[in-house]
Amino acid sequence: MTARKSGSRLETEIERCRSECQWDKIPELVRQLSAKLISNDDLGELLLAECKLQTYLKENPIKQGASPRGPRPKLVEVRKHLTAALDRGNLKSDYLQEASLLMAKLCYVEGEYRDALGHYGRVSLDELQLAGAPVYRLSIIAESYATKGLCLEKVPTASPLLSNNNTGSPALSNRTACERDQEIITCYEKSGDIALLYLQEVEKVCVSGIQNRSPKPGPVAPDQELGYFLETGLQRAHVIHFKNGNLTRGVGRFREILRAVETRTTQNLRMTIARQLAEILLRGMCEQSYWSPMEDPPTVSPLDDPSQQGHTHSNKTYSLSRRPRIYSGENLFCPQENTEEALLLLLISESMANRDAVLSRIPEHNNDRIISLQSASVVYDLLTIALGRRGQYEMLSECLERAMKFAFEEFHLWYQLALSLMAAGKSARAVKVLKECIRLKPNDPTIPLLAVKLCIGPLHWLDEGECFAKMVVDMGEKAAEFRAKGYLAIGLVYSLKATDASLRGTQEEYQRKALGAFQRAQSLSPTDHLASFYLALQLAVSRQIPEALAYVRQALQLQGDDVHSLHLLALLLSAQKHYHDALNIIEMALSEYPENFNLLYTKVKLETLCRGPEEALLTCKHMLEIWKSFYNLTNPSDSGRGSSLLDRAIADRRQLNAMTLPDFSDPDTGSVHATSIAASRVEQALSEVASSLQSSAPKQGPLHPWMTLAQIWLHAAEVYVGMCKPAEATACTQEAANLFPTSHNVLYMRGQVAELRGNVDEAKRWYEEALSISPTHVKTMQRLGLILQQLQRYSLSEKVLRDAVQVNSTAHDVWNSLGEVLQAQGNAAAATECFLAALELEASSPVLPFTIIPRAL
Amino acid sequence: MLAMDQGVVEEWLSEYKTLPDNAVSNYAASLKDKGALVPALYKVIRENYSDLLEPVCHQLFEFYRSGEPRLQRFTLQFLPELLWSLLSASSARDPHTSGCIEALLLGIYNLEIVDKDGQSKVLSFTVPSLSKPSVYHEPSTIGSLALTEGALSNHGLSRVVYSGPHLQRETFTAQNRFDVLTFLLLCYNAALSFMTPSSLQSLCQLSSRVCICGYPRQQLRRYKGISSRLTVTSEFLVQLITGIHYALCNGEVDVGSKALDDVLYRAQLELFPEALLVGNAIKSSLHSAALKSNNKEGPRSIQVEITPTASRISRNAVTSLSIRGHRWKRHDAVDLGSPDELMEISELDEGVWPGLAAPSDAAPPTITISNSFTTPSLGARAMKKCRLGGRTSKDKEAGPAPGGRAASESAELSVKRLTLTSSQSVPKAGALSSLTRTASAVFSRSFEASSAPVPNHHHHHHLLHQAGSDAGAQDAGRYSCSLQEEGLGYLSPGRNHTPLSTSISVHLGSDL
Repeated sequence: MTARKSGSRLETEIERCRSECQWDKIPELVRQLSAKLISNDDLGELLLAECKLQTYLKENPIKQGASPRGPRPKLVEVRKHLTAALDRGNLKSDYLQEASLLMAKLCYVEGEYRDALGHYGRVSLDELQLAGAPVYRLSIIAESYATKGLCLEKVPTASPLLSNNNTGSPALSNRTACERDQEIITCYEKSGDIALLYLQEVEKVCVSGIQNRSPKPGPVAPDQELGYFLETGLQRAHVIHFKNGNLTRGVGRFREILRAVETRTTQNLRMTIARQLAEILLRGMCEQSYWSPMEDPPTVSPLDDPSQQGHTHSNKTYSLSRRPRIYSGENLFCPQENTEEALLLLLISESMANRDAVLSRIPEHNNDRIISLQSASVVYDLLTIALGRRGQYEMLSECLERAMKFAFEEFHLWYQLALSLMAAGKSARAVKVLKECIRLKPNDPTIPLLAVKLCIGPLHWLDEGECFAKMVVDMGEKAAEFRAKGYLAIGLVYSLKATDASLRGTQEEYQRKALGAFQRAQSLSPTDHLASFYLALQLAVSRQIPEALAYVRQALQLQGDDVHSLHLLALLLSAQKHYHDALNIIEMALSEYPENFNLLYTKVKLETLCRGPEEALLTCKHMLEIWKSFYNLTNPSDSGRGSSLLDRAIADRRQLNAMTLPDFSDPDTGSVHATSIAASRVEQALSEVASSLQSSAPKQGPLHPWMTLAQIWLHAAEVYVGMCKPAEATACTQEAANLFPTSHNVLYMRGQVAELRGNVDEAKRWYEEALSISPTHVKTMQRLGLILQQLQRYSLSEKVLRDAVQVNSTAHDVWNSLGEVLQAQGNAAAATECFLAALELEASSPVLPFTIIPRAL
Repeated sequence: MLAMDQGVVEEWLSEYKTLPDNAVSNYAASLKDKGALVPALYKVIRENYSDLLEPVCHQLFEFYRSGEPRLQRFTLQFLPELLWSLLSASSARDPHTSGCIEALLLGIYNLEIVDKDGQSKVLSFTVPSLSKPSVYHEPSTIGSLALTEGALSNHGLSRVVYSGPHLQRETFTAQNRFDVLTFLLLCYNAALSFMTPSSLQSLCQLSSRVCICGYPRQQLRRYKGISSRLTVTSEFLVQLITGIHYALCNGEVDVGSKALDDVLYRAQLELFPEALLVGNAIKSSLHSAALKSNNKEGPRSIQVEITPTASRISRNAVTSLSIRGHRWKRHDAVDLGSPDELMEISELDEGVWPGLAAPSDAAPPTITISNSFTTPSLGARAMKKCRLGGRTSKDKEAGPAPGGRAASESAELSVKRLTLTSSQSVPKAGALSSLTRTASAVFSRSFEASSAPVPNHHHHHHLLHQAGSDAGAQDAGRYSCSLQEEGLGYLSPGRNHTPLSTSISVHLGSDL
């Protein structure tokens, strides 16, 4: 460029000020210029006109959607300058073009659209050079395209062109309108592209400018602000696309803008556009109508309004000699699916929204806070939608955690965080956050109920659970439909507390309370099968078998295929010694839930009793097969951390399994027992150490598949013990031991095998080891008691058995053993009592404890 | 059912059967012109006892099996209606009527879980990460916000999650029913853009009914079909919500919002966090969208306006961006002279660098790095603190009673602390490495002072060593952390100065 080459310092300075929009400095520079070059007054006119026009627009910005307001007195001077420069025509051609373009812009500002178009017609915008042009000129060109588009939109379609052939058919005029639309859009698209290029260039200049002046940073250019024209140029094209119902091209335009390398000035625009594109991807697209940013859009898409189909030109209809830089490089991540792209865009948008979080709480910043909160919560809601679809709750909880800086007293954000933590399995934190939610919205019964669900489920925080459940119950009528649920929750808490209690008195007290709560729940919500079911379960635990049967039948009437009700029915029948009926029920249940291990364990027990151990062994084998088909099918990523969570979006088999798996370590006490939790933690820790020593154990991945497998082996071992086959029993136990060498169940089984072999001392040693890991394992205590009795250490035996009865007062074989010990000690009266108790309990004893059925909200 | 409808359906049944293979594509294109057909088919599905149900189901399956996308979508549009038929029949324990619908649904499921060659399909989903460059961003410009511990552990890796392979299913059982139905809804959702308004309405109706039957709200909706409760799973509800969301945004505002309310109602009663999460998010995002634009133009509610690009947040408000520079300035003001304060800082750092306290064996260290625009010397400061921590414990060691077990412990401790070496790109490298104890308080400043005016593109490059049992001599369990900053010309306290690009790379590795 000639102007550039002659480049005195002054001209460079002028160019810099124009590029950086420092209009206030121009008059001074013009003065210096005219002092130096007397002949070049016209350039001065141009510069003054420009700076006055720009300053005017800065002081009286045009609002989006508002039309310019006709001639303004302040602009008279501008017109004077420009007319002077243009009339004399002494300017170099570049400057002459600039003057014309400025004139056109002035015409637009004054509402003279046709005049403006006339000026644009003379300059022929498309031939202006982009390569090598000074930065400010890029801005002028971009603004000109935008202004031209605006003028074309304003001038009615009945242009001179059309008025000539007024007789033309409507189809023809329609086609012309179409072409005109296209022309308008192209103007805006070009304007947007050049605007992006200009912003990139201007930033480059700023940076180099600052580096030249370092280390002491000089006065820095104020933050660039896009004026009305550039803003319009960047955004109007896609607005028109969407207004026309042309989603395909709108999305394409969004992507073009977003792929251009970001500048500081475009950050806010990018944040908005990224969010809008994500919205469209999530709300208006699906996997089948999606095309990736690197692909060509489909020629016919259901996304486009069919009535506008004629308008669509899916390919770009223009080319520019220079385009904005776009993100490039090797291994760029390019989304392949609409949710992926939405997620990427939202993460980008989030990082920006997050940066703008207004932290100060002073009242003056109230508005700013609301703005920053709003823009962020829109992004977080969309993130939730996208991640929820793909089941990525762990990632979601991390994202929402970042939203917490906005969350002071904002219920929605707190609640969403709590729910995401819950869905991600971070129960303890979820409960803490739920507490805050309750504080913010004390009248919503759902929140404390969610907390109870976690407290009695994965956390086993029964005292906290009781508090939360009481909140719901105390709401009374206000809790409406949730009132029954509240009673159910508190009943479950008491029921679990009863199982945990070590003193018989407290146990009975809690059982009574639980029963009362369940009855209340059942009467409040007679159509809820869960209320009837838990009432039945609680009655069963307190050995009121006939009453329990009545309620479980009621539950089954309400929900015929509920697995837990069917299981309870079978156990109740087994307690009445109707083993065949029980087995039939189990088999029926298994036809609906063929892969439910809990039912299968019961089946093994029942088969041993009804059909002999061979059948039971076949069931064990079947269980192993199921296990294999389950966990072999899972894909390779399963072994890693946090993987395969997509499965959760599409119903996770294992999760289902986890719910029906009573307690991962203890087949005896179904629902989690406080001490058995401790035991299983010890077990887990020890097993991890042990298995790190022996590398053969296949132990990556989630734990409970392996626990299920160990349980299957232990059940098989038990069957073999019943058949007096110590070798096979040992082999099975060994399989379980390979997985969990220090499980008390494994040790207990080893003790049984040793007993079978007649090695009393060895058995005693195993039992003692088992008890050192799980001191309240009743079965082990019973066996140990018996052995001690055989060894004639009566008082110790009595002590162990009495402890066992304390833990579980309904274990009839313990009572029986206790009776034998007392008898051997010569305490016939007490022994009789024990035998009677044993007899009575045995009459109502199921094949497996009722508590094997999980209790959860 | 009217005779006319019956005629339409029968004609449809016979026409496809006689169709030659090469005419399938044309036939598929012509289907949408048969205006009376779709309503007639809806009627057939709704009237469970119709004789036509079985041949219709069969033909819909044939459509799906043909592999022609338009025919598949034709079948899919009836999916919500079919699901409702199946669920209501199973709740009424009326297995005979739903037999052919079951077969159709299982057939579609079994087709969808395998690819063209009959191999089990594994769906994959790449979780995008801001730490990896994409077509829309450059990690360095995102800055530090995403650099959390979690982000670091996934640094530069893109995580892919898989779904599948799925088991072939021969029959519906109570256990697999919702697995299969959820998967089918996933297929339906993948084709949402192609679904007709009547199909979307049917989906919303299905959602409402599934969620409210048997609950008090059923009276509110005045639905008098079945009155027993239907079991649902959280995942199933999430898939329903996805479809409802699309319907809501694409013209079905009334049924859609009713359905969303009903699903949320049920999710609350069932205490399903996943469904609540997504449902709440949709509600809140639509609410804010509705506030913005009250005018409803066209069937699609996707609207875009020109938005101002300037930040709407006033400049003097304290934001998370602006506060970072603030905090660091205050830290500079801490007088490092007093030993008490040194102790405090080193204690504080125990929390920041959990890797330090852990034994230096195979356990990967967890390092939290936060970076801010205005503080390129962060690495130096963090290391300085660690260094100071080490120093104080050495001080103690040199104190009154050296020897004994305590001393050896503290010696070991100090060995485990980080030692600093600085790389050649720092001009005063020699001075740095020869830092003595007494100089360490001054060190940070001299370091910053020396690094500030460096003109090269890589201004400083630190290496952080965590030596193993024997500092320096052995390289066991060595972790290095390098921090690079570009554009240090901006290094000044002024708020508007931000480095152009900031790149942080952390390499964790244990060379054993």
